[in-house]
Amino acid sequence: MAKDMHGSTVEFEHVTRSFGTVKALNSFSLTLNPGELVTLLGPSGCGKTTALRILAGIDREYSGKVEIDGKSMKNVNASQRNIGMVFQAYSLFPNMTASENVQYGLRVRGVDSAKREKRADELLEMVGLSTQANRRPNQLSGGQQQRVALARALAIEPRVLLLDEPLSALDAQVRTTLRDEIRRLQTRLGITTLFVTHDQEEAMAISDRVGVMNHGNLEQIDVPGNLYNKPKSTFVAGFVGLTNRIPALVESKGEVMVLNQILEISEHSESVKKGEEVRALVRPENISVEKSSSAFTSTVITKSFLGPMTRVGIDVGMDELIYAEMSSKEAKKLDTGDSVKLHIATEAVMVESV
Amino acid sequence: MKRGLRLGDRIILIAAGFFFITPFLAAGEYSLRGYGGKGHTWANYTWIFKQLGFGPALFTSLRIAALSVALLLVLMIPTVVYVQLGGRRWARLVEILCLLPIVIPVVSLAIGAQVAMPKALQSTSYELCFFYVIVAMPYVYRALDIGLQSIPLQTLVEASQSLGASWFTTLRRVILPAIASAMTGALFITIALTLGEYTLASLLHFRTFPTWVTNVSQENILGAVALSVATLVGAWLILLILAFIPKFKRNRKGVLAHG
Repeated sequence: MAKDMHGSTVEFEHVTRSFGTVKALNSFSLTLNPGELVTLLGPSGCGKTTALRILAGIDREYSGKVEIDGKSMKNVNASQRNIGMVFQAYSLFPNMTASENVQYGLRVRGVDSAKREKRADELLEMVGLSTQANRRPNQLSGGQQQRVALARALAIEPRVLLLDEPLSALDAQVRTTLRDEIRRLQTRLGITTLFVTHDQEEAMAISDRVGVMNHGNLEQIDVPGNLYNKPKSTFVAGFVGLTNRIPALVESKGEVMVLNQILEISEHSESVKKGEEVRALVRPENISVEKSSSAFTSTVITKSFLGPMTRVGIDVGMDELIYAEMSSKEAKKLDTGDSVKLHIATEAVMVESV
Repeated sequence: MKRGLRLGDRIILIAAGFFFITPFLAAGEYSLRGYGGKGHTWANYTWIFKQLGFGPALFTSLRIAALSVALLLVLMIPTVVYVQLGGRRWARLVEILCLLPIVIPVVSLAIGAQVAMPKALQSTSYELCFFYVIVAMPYVYRALDIGLQSIPLQTLVEASQSLGASWFTTLRRVILPAIASAMTGALFITIALTLGEYTLASLLHFRTFPTWVTNVSQENILGAVALSVATLVGAWLILLILAFIPKFKRNRKGVLAHG
């Protein structure tokens, strides 16, 4: 069984990749520690897949340095890097069975058939598909195909595992199950893994660290909790998790008036001047709501049940609703149409220019 | 659940089958008639084998067909794969080049290509392979292009290479098996075209099966019909055998895998 894969150190140093005039990666630097799972998260076209393809060796038209365990990958072909990769699109070889797919990398390496078959059996068992070993890809579901692809990538005992949005084509339930399974296997095998996704929930759930990318730049890389609670830019604050962008007015150098409350402007905000109209970024869970009958109140417009939490949409007379999240038990006290009063339950908020 | 054919589909199939099979059956019946149209006999078929040059002409055509197929696949598969993978900007040019043989009259093609042919190949029957490659190219290009478009080529190639495979291994173990049906189609087209091509062979004075058929047919009308039927059946048999080879190989592999 593949138990003792040793994680490698991966290093991107000032990697730049341009397509015509567009810079898909702009002096991108990132270090992955041995056995770590790092996710690159960002909107389409932010450069996350480009970074992954450069590490895989599929794209070699870049400047800067890419190293694995201190060795430059500049002149190393994709086929010589010993990197396992799972793709977004189903990539199983259609003419081969699940077992033959898993054996492929070993076959290419000249491993004898008995060893190959034994290893394929082990890996298929590991991903819960031992009974489907002789099925062809068109006889497997999407989730099963991605499991086989994972087993195939692991069969070669790769130094690094690359996952290019492997769950995006799957339905929600399979996605969650497979996501947890990938994490379980990755932790067990201790393999350095670079995961690429645009799904922030997926990124937060699976990763040791998450790097948020925008326009070819790594905006911030941190553990999921810090990324959510201590974003270092308004882009990260806006991209990770739900954020209300509430019109506000800068009162003084470090203070802002939001919903009739004076709050501190947190660090990493954009630079603003006194008297400037800005937007304050406030998480829904930082807005508390209570019923009110006063003249200057707001109205509950929507209620979305999310299990233990409920999200309430409130009209405060702006173009967009303001969302607040509270426990579902607390939300039972509110109904749509109720007049409410809002309170921002945090001392500091991030602001951005309008 | 497996759904049967609808009534309308069946009627169309039967009508189409009738349209194709009737002339063939009529020709078959006619080819079995005796001298003066009386009775039925195999004499017209036995007459074919007694004609001088039957074996050499058939062998020449089969040999040229095999070489043309090999040459076409070696030439066209890497070209189409390249165009699909990274050379999309060349796609239009390749398509135009592959369409040229359709619009250039065969006589012009024969004379032009004959002049351009290396001296060593001129006047050998191998010369015809190159002509047939040109003539079959539009159809083979289309068949392979459609086959490659039906698979996620780029992802398969990248997956194969990430697993350590070279380009050659990727082509042999992944791409070719994935487009086996398109290749079989290309193979059929080339063989059918090569075995039936008369104009070029006749213009260049080569004795291939079609030119031999034309010559001997002038002596015996019933024998000529028998020859046409036999040629058609023979071509079908070759194509059927070729179509079943992959299935046979797959089954054999399956038995060994379980044995």
